[in-house]
Amino acid sequence: MSDDGAQDINRSRAVDWALRAYVVAAYAFVFAPILASFVFSFNSDRFPSLPLGQFSLDWYRAVAADPLVWEGLRNTLLVGVVAGVISTALGFGAAYTDYRYQFFGKQVYLALALLPPTIPVIIMGLAMLAFLSRMDLSGNALSVIISHVVICAPFAMAIVRLRLSQMDPALEPAAWNLGASEWQTMRHVVMPFTRPAILGALFITMAVSFDEFAIAWFVSGLNETLPVKVLGFLQGQVSPRINAIGSFVFVTSMTLVILAQVLLAGRDTTARRASGEQE
Amino acid sequence: MRRHLSLYGLTFSLPLLIWQLVFFVFPLCFLVALSFWTVRNFAMRPDFDTVNWVTMYGRKVFWQAYATTFALAAVASVLTSVLAFPCSYAIAFKMSDRARRWAVFLMVIPFFTSYLVRVYSWQIFLSDAGILNVLFGWVGLGPYGMLNTVGATMIGYLTLSFPLVVLLQLFSLVFIDRTLIEAAHNLRCGRLRTVFAVIIPSARVGLVIAALFCFILSFGDFVSPVYLGGGDPTTLSILITDTTKSGQQWPRAAVIALTMIGTLMVVAFLSVRFAYKGRNA
Amino acid sequence: MQTDTLVSIDGVIKRFGSFVAVQRMDLDIRKGEFLAIMGSSGCGKTTTLRMLAGLEAPSEGVIRLAGQPINDLPTWARDTPMVWQSLALFPFLNVRENVEFALKMRGVGREERRQRAEQWLERMQIAEFADRNIAQLSGGQRQRVALARSLVVEPQILLLDEPLSALDAALKVRMQSLLKNLQRQTGITFVYVTHSQSEAFSMADRVVIMSRGKIEQIGTPQDIYRAPRTRFVADFLGSSNIFDGTVSRILPDGVELDTPSGRLRQTGGSPEGRPGTGRPATLTVLDTRMRLSRTPPPDGTNVVPVRVVGEEFVGATATVYLETEHGQEIRVQKGHEELADLSIQPGQALFAHWSPEDGHLLTQA
Repeated sequence: MSDDGAQDINRSRAVDWALRAYVVAAYAFVFAPILASFVFSFNSDRFPSLPLGQFSLDWYRAVAADPLVWEGLRNTLLVGVVAGVISTALGFGAAYTDYRYQFFGKQVYLALALLPPTIPVIIMGLAMLAFLSRMDLSGNALSVIISHVVICAPFAMAIVRLRLSQMDPALEPAAWNLGASEWQTMRHVVMPFTRPAILGALFITMAVSFDEFAIAWFVSGLNETLPVKVLGFLQGQVSPRINAIGSFVFVTSMTLVILAQVLLAGRDTTARRASGEQE
Repeated sequence: MRRHLSLYGLTFSLPLLIWQLVFFVFPLCFLVALSFWTVRNFAMRPDFDTVNWVTMYGRKVFWQAYATTFALAAVASVLTSVLAFPCSYAIAFKMSDRARRWAVFLMVIPFFTSYLVRVYSWQIFLSDAGILNVLFGWVGLGPYGMLNTVGATMIGYLTLSFPLVVLLQLFSLVFIDRTLIEAAHNLRCGRLRTVFAVIIPSARVGLVIAALFCFILSFGDFVSPVYLGGGDPTTLSILITDTTKSGQQWPRAAVIALTMIGTLMVVAFLSVRFAYKGRNA
Repeated sequence: MQTDTLVSIDGVIKRFGSFVAVQRMDLDIRKGEFLAIMGSSGCGKTTTLRMLAGLEAPSEGVIRLAGQPINDLPTWARDTPMVWQSLALFPFLNVRENVEFALKMRGVGREERRQRAEQWLERMQIAEFADRNIAQLSGGQRQRVALARSLVVEPQILLLDEPLSALDAALKVRMQSLLKNLQRQTGITFVYVTHSQSEAFSMADRVVIMSRGKIEQIGTPQDIYRAPRTRFVADFLGSSNIFDGTVSRILPDGVELDTPSGRLRQTGGSPEGRPGTGRPATLTVLDTRMRLSRTPPPDGTNVVPVRVVGEEFVGATATVYLETEHGQEIRVQKGHEELADLSIQPGQALFAHWSPEDGHLLTQA
């Protein structure tokens, strides 16, 4: 094995190539269903498989012709935007709290703020449905918004918190020291500094809500709430329309995500240039 | 200055706290209360009766489903971790910074596609007349019955967790001090041995947490067992939906849900303890 | 209280939990002086500055600004601007907006804000960068922006928290003279916190040396350099050789000590606080005042046999590191010419000596 150096290098090159091939295979596995869904959304066959049938926009037409789809889309957008705004506001508050304050029970606070996404959706669905129907809140968009905020706020918090950790801890005190009250500092320093993250969080939470609603939405009816849909999943009517809707939702979500990415990355490069010059 | 919470501070910290208490903690607590309610004539009624717990825990079906779900989730987390590791390792140590950023970006994309759409897409691949069987047919093999098997369920679990596991593993791997690896090589620790003797122990926390997330996701998932596994064997999540649909038996579904939460908490606690074992010494 | 006192710190204590960051401190800061507070990290110097700025509240005691107690004033209600170690410039605002910030927060109108900011931008010679982003400035330009941003409200006092620590040596020296000139021209009181002796001594009118939350010594740079009051100060400045011993004889104008390095004599200085016979005492001798020779000098006072350990050159001077028979380290600093005829080699035996009036007796152990 180690009798001469050249052999050692050859061996490592083989390993590197094997690893590279493995990475490609792994990404192929991850993207196969996504791409297939996209491709088959333009395929005429009722039961999609190889060889491909004809190119067709039938499934998109079928989806577009369905008034329930349009109503659903409206609901999706409404829920997504409202849940996104509320989640971002709540997440920002929690992130700022974590950044600025030390207090008794902070661990519990953070656990509460970050835990919801780790609870299985089906249990969340059951609990929310049982609870909200008791409060006469089930069966409308409000209940979906409420549930989505629970799930989305932690994402918003994580994104804003990350940005705050890049903020010079002296920045806030510096503003106070220059005569800005805490509220003025929030308005003129903290918010401008975190603005890219706030917008990023807004888009990401909207995207999360959008998909989450989509799952529930196209498998069951439109007027039902998320938890009902979650429980009613299994009776759903599966057809290539799913591909059409899925692709549409995917493109919309990715647009939001890329927008968020551009906003966050744009700021990053200026920051990097700044620290580069400082050195 | 003034590190304690003022009116100003409370304005920012309270809303989320209240929201999560009212709409997260409270519903979960309500689930506990619900598990003691009784159902008569298809109507639920507040009560304090252990009948649901006794009934569910007395059923063989429940324990079978429990064992199945646990075993499936455990296998999924080991399988996913093992399959993801070479990928994360290659991204962390064999790629340029630029390539790594792209790799991470691509791995994030699946989070913004519907899981259900992806599962439906796997049906297209795995069904009797699906893509894979057509491909096998071209080389004179098959057809194989791949849909509605445990293997198909596993593919679903992999679809669900693989990207997350890769990302979590990756984040623990990129933070390993490179000089540690060079030091190991320098001390004549071979490539493969370095992976097991240096890299895996250094990244243990991240690797365990990644496996834990895979367990949590698979344990609670109901899409893959139903759409890819064909609903057989029955998992706890399938049992919850069945129980809810059969005559308003929500209290019994609550029992299952609480058992699942309890199990997840124990597993999470044990894994975290294992992950950090010896760290504070 | 003296009339020329701007800030008085009166019996101030600062605790963080059980940790005492500043122990009962009394300090008057004069109008228009350049005061440096110096010490190693964790000595309480920054905490003191933050209490002046209103970023920390004293646990006990009173801080007065121009005679008025300011303990309860939040930082945004005082005119005690600070220049931060990190500068803490607002990265999302351009240079002009940074400088205008304090005026904007005080509700000064747009036009006046612009004018007053312009004055300071010009004064700090950064007017040409007014519309640039902070990220586009060099280190020195940022320093100027930070100064302009703090001075635009024309305060009575400016607090500076190690603002030069991130700069390279050459720029540091230039900024030091800029700061000193600025302070002289404006007459604004500067309180400058640093761990760097050269910064403190080159700019300040008075220096406060702190250790473990306590003031060790206050005085002009010359006083402190020549006559450190405590062993800590002597150690901290690092320019003196220190001999511990016992007083064996009181002389008319000094003392004689018995030390492991022999009997040493010190004369001069104030007789006040001089320890009596038989008491422990500590003698310090500046490394520049020590002499070296191959043979013992004829008069035989204050002669210590030493062995060369090593030599270090910095610019025109060389520092020779030596060791006595008892293992005590001795440093001697000399010009190259003076050392040339000794042809110093490691291990070489030499004699270190100094005249009695170059010794200084610590008044506190």
